[in-house]
Amino acid sequence: MSFETILPQVLEPFRGVKRVALEEYFTSGHRTCQGCESALVMKLMIKAAGARTIVLGSTGCMYVANTTYYTTPWVVPWMHTQLGSSGSAALGTAAALKALMRKGKMREEPINVIAFCGDGGGADMGLSAISATLTHRDYNCLILLYDNESYANTDIQLSGMTPYGAYTTFSPAGKAKRIMHKRWKKNMAGMMAAGHPECRYVATVCASYAVDMMNKVRKALSIGGPTFIHSLDPCPKGWDYDPMFSHELGELAIQCGIFPLYEVEDGKLSFYGQTKYLVEGRTKRKPVREYLSRQGRFAHFLEEDIEYFQQKTDEMWEKWLIPGVIPFSNA
Amino acid sequence: MKADTLLIPQETEALISGCEAIAQACRLADVDVITGYPIRPYDTVMQAIAKLISNGDFDAEYIIAESEHSQFEIVKHASAVGARVFVGSSGVGWFYAMEALAVTAGLRMPVVAIVGNRALDDPGAFGVEHNDAMAVRDLGWMLTWVDTAQEALDTALMAWRLAEDRRVLLPIAIGMDGSYLTHSQVLVKVPSQEMVEQFLPPYNRGELQLHPDNPITIAPQVNEDWLIEIRKQSDDAMRRAKTIIPDVYADYHRIFGRGDSPFFEEYMMEDAEVALLGQGTIAMPIKVAIRKLRAEGQKVGLIRLKWLRPFPTAELQAALSNVKAVGVIDRDYSFGSPFHSGVLATELRSALYSLDKRPPVVGFIAGLGGREVTAENVIEMSNITTQVAASGKSDTETHWIGVRG
Amino acid sequence: MNPVTVEVVYRGIYQKSLAQRIGRGIVLAARKEGKVGVSFGRYGDSPERNGIPAKQFAIVADDELELQITMARYEPTIVDITIAVDDTLCKGVESWAWYGTQPINKLLHADGLLLVTSIHSPDTLLQWVHRQPYEYDIAIVKGPASLSGLWVYKDDHTDVRVLGTLSRVAPQLFGMNALEQAILQEWNDNLKVVSAKKAFDRAVTRRVRSEEGNPAPVQDYEKPKYWEMQEGIVVKAIPVGKGFRGEDEGGFQPERNPYFKKYSTRTMRPVVDFDTCVKCTLCWLQCPDSCFDVTPEHLYDANMEACCGCGVCEAVCPVEKCVTMVNETAFIDNTSQYEMWKQDPQAYKGWVQEKISQEKPVEHRSHGFRYRGQYQEEIAAMQKEEEA
Repeated sequence: MSFETILPQVLEPFRGVKRVALEEYFTSGHRTCQGCESALVMKLMIKAAGARTIVLGSTGCMYVANTTYYTTPWVVPWMHTQLGSSGSAALGTAAALKALMRKGKMREEPINVIAFCGDGGGADMGLSAISATLTHRDYNCLILLYDNESYANTDIQLSGMTPYGAYTTFSPAGKAKRIMHKRWKKNMAGMMAAGHPECRYVATVCASYAVDMMNKVRKALSIGGPTFIHSLDPCPKGWDYDPMFSHELGELAIQCGIFPLYEVEDGKLSFYGQTKYLVEGRTKRKPVREYLSRQGRFAHFLEEDIEYFQQKTDEMWEKWLIPGVIPFSNA
Repeated sequence: MKADTLLIPQETEALISGCEAIAQACRLADVDVITGYPIRPYDTVMQAIAKLISNGDFDAEYIIAESEHSQFEIVKHASAVGARVFVGSSGVGWFYAMEALAVTAGLRMPVVAIVGNRALDDPGAFGVEHNDAMAVRDLGWMLTWVDTAQEALDTALMAWRLAEDRRVLLPIAIGMDGSYLTHSQVLVKVPSQEMVEQFLPPYNRGELQLHPDNPITIAPQVNEDWLIEIRKQSDDAMRRAKTIIPDVYADYHRIFGRGDSPFFEEYMMEDAEVALLGQGTIAMPIKVAIRKLRAEGQKVGLIRLKWLRPFPTAELQAALSNVKAVGVIDRDYSFGSPFHSGVLATELRSALYSLDKRPPVVGFIAGLGGREVTAENVIEMSNITTQVAASGKSDTETHWIGVRG
Repeated sequence: MNPVTVEVVYRGIYQKSLAQRIGRGIVLAARKEGKVGVSFGRYGDSPERNGIPAKQFAIVADDELELQITMARYEPTIVDITIAVDDTLCKGVESWAWYGTQPINKLLHADGLLLVTSIHSPDTLLQWVHRQPYEYDIAIVKGPASLSGLWVYKDDHTDVRVLGTLSRVAPQLFGMNALEQAILQEWNDNLKVVSAKKAFDRAVTRRVRSEEGNPAPVQDYEKPKYWEMQEGIVVKAIPVGKGFRGEDEGGFQPERNPYFKKYSTRTMRPVVDFDTCVKCTLCWLQCPDSCFDVTPEHLYDANMEACCGCGVCEAVCPVEKCVTMVNETAFIDNTSQYEMWKQDPQAYKGWVQEKISQEKPVEHRSHGFRYRGQYQEEIAAMQKEEEA
């Protein structure tokens, strides 16, 4: 079976911080919170992708905070798309480029197509569109889901990716109900990887590990076909902490085993960074308490809540078929 | 030429349905990206396109989306990059895409869509009603209705020319009555590629194109200091479109010999005392009925509206200023509107209001859910309208025709 | 009495609850004197972002009809009282793109009142508060800015101290009796009443003459006509940057959005000791705002036109005291630190030491906020007194 496709760009990984490209394609002058990790993700994502890229941004913080008419912080071409449309935007853009180039209406060259969405737009509303796009081997595109664990732009409401018990404006801790949000976070990256075997590349990243993140973006753009990256973004506004700790909290999420760093490339699973050490048994997971106690959104947690959170995290590591990735076990 | 080969090498006559005619138009226009999603009755157009593509007679990226919302979002984005696009839906499918429809117009993307008009759920029904396409009439979509497969093909070709005009850049929805137009096979003249190339220039967004050679940001978030200006731009574009439509029709007529009377068709209106107004395939029984009425000495004529948006206000005023009454036949509803009239009646009353001498407008609602509108029904409506004309008084009743009970 | 319009200018999110409390407090206290009022946030600020200046309004009038006069405009264009609950806001406020940094007292009319929470004197603040062609009053509520988070509110009584000061210097709003009643009704806390009364006693105003203040010109802007705006909701992208300072000598300086600089979001700015930098790149790499210019020798100069003061650079820098966040009021302008260092490294070293010595090391951060108001020590003392 041959898939006719335009060859993607060849983006070699950055070999260390000193070799990271200096050019910024997402520059200063956006209205994001101080310490916004999602803004950092935008910066790193497009730094990794380079100038020959089209970015589609769905509604959310990275739309409303970043682009404020009559100006923009983007250096590369960028277009707004709807909350649940990142999959469609990527597909439509890639299909148009392909058609026009094939028919000789546009100069042929590999142009990166990246559509980003938040956890609300990606894991909730736009899930079906992303899923559809990941089945289209013919089109080169990357869908990047930046996960700040809430609908942040609307002043922090819970989404399918909000962790258990977190305080949001839709799940406040009140006198009668301390925990209003009892749902556990969806396993988004694992779901995408397991559910779309034709998709050649799925990865989880965190901007705290910037070079790793950028190299995964480069790999996703170079491998061909539709790809998916899930990024965990600590959010100083929604998670309630001093913004200088954005970097540290990202690391902590990984060290506690709450967010695993891995990639699935052509069906092969690899763990990365601190997660790799955990999987190999070289380090132990930090207690989730360390992570939860730093954030105001968990300030109402009692012992039993912290224990529950720990227990569910333990399950991910002790009971899952593939720790952190695939939750089944043999009956 | 057999319909199922579906390849017509030069201007020739073919026996094809409205949907197949549209597929031919897509081929001739060298559409680049098409998205489909199954819903009756429009989706035979996508089936016809699929055959053309798989037989190598038409080259386009052809994507079956997983929902109408995605379907319309995909072509909107393809259009931003500079691809000529085509898409379509019916009934609640069109509604599933509503968010995409709103933003497509707001973004000034020249998407050409067919709406195989179909009743909205609930209950589920395949029969024709016009409310689906009409729902976008405020948003900046241009809206046109066709009544034959020939007109469907011709209008589609004109649509790309009109929508992609740099002075316009508005999406166009072509209403095609479900079943009557979408599925019936009729004789259609299909133009040649050479003729179409004379008429239809390539799509060029210029400095609005989304491409790394032209770095732009499209649609940043706005606050209250900017939006009314942006809306005014769309208003201007729609106004310009109104002036450009006659030019496009004239040019089409020059090359293809078809496409006169841009905004509406006038049938036996020269000396009409009573006019009937409607859109779409309802024109057929109306014409049959008018011929019967004329034989009895009644001076009745038909205005078959082609363009609902932009609404041809001045032209309709001119055409109707001398009639004694107008019977508007709505194949749609607008519950709770003034006089509980359908959409066309309400719009026409508004359009005629500034005339010094206003003919009374009589509202009829007929043919909902695919109910046949027979020549007899039309005669009944004509008679009511004639009575109103004779009385000289306005009639604020909205008459529902053909309802049992 | 004419309606009195008050605006509270605050750091988005950090002081959202504080601003709302002050707004509500004004209306509730005025109500105790039989007046009517309304309190609302500026819709255009929503959703608020950490640190980005936002506004809360409170309008008080004798009756409904009078109130409607001011309500007929959605957002007030003239205010009687401007309250800045972070003195760094006195340097100017840029809340949305295209409008530029605007004076803190932009909406304040002649003979109005500017009330600022600050540890500095009015003279110090008037280095930054823009000059106006008329006179007005300034009053200080003594203490550092009180910053909190979205979910966990740190009550250090700044709200009632502001209200208490108002009851003394703006009695047309409400007096102390009314305020006491309102505090008890809203918060049921006697200690807060004590704080309000203390603020009342300490309140002092100073007249600002029309030649006082920062003479720097304010960005003027004229919005384009609708036909001047590109169709299709299109704006041109920012061009790619070039070498440091636009030269060909190496390094990199990004082009930046000229219409939204964001530096008025700063409560603190990083001070960089270039001598101890090991060029690990982390500050530059991890800055969400791409504010570091890369110098030809690959040092990293935080561009003060772009830095919004998040502190991530301090957190990730591996070298002790190489990057230190210092309160914005310690600085006069946005001069490049790298250029200062290049010009005179010795003097610069001294400058760095002087600046960072002013910052107290922050020991315990409950959910991490640096400032909870120095006044919390007084509260603790008051509580002890109460218990005794």
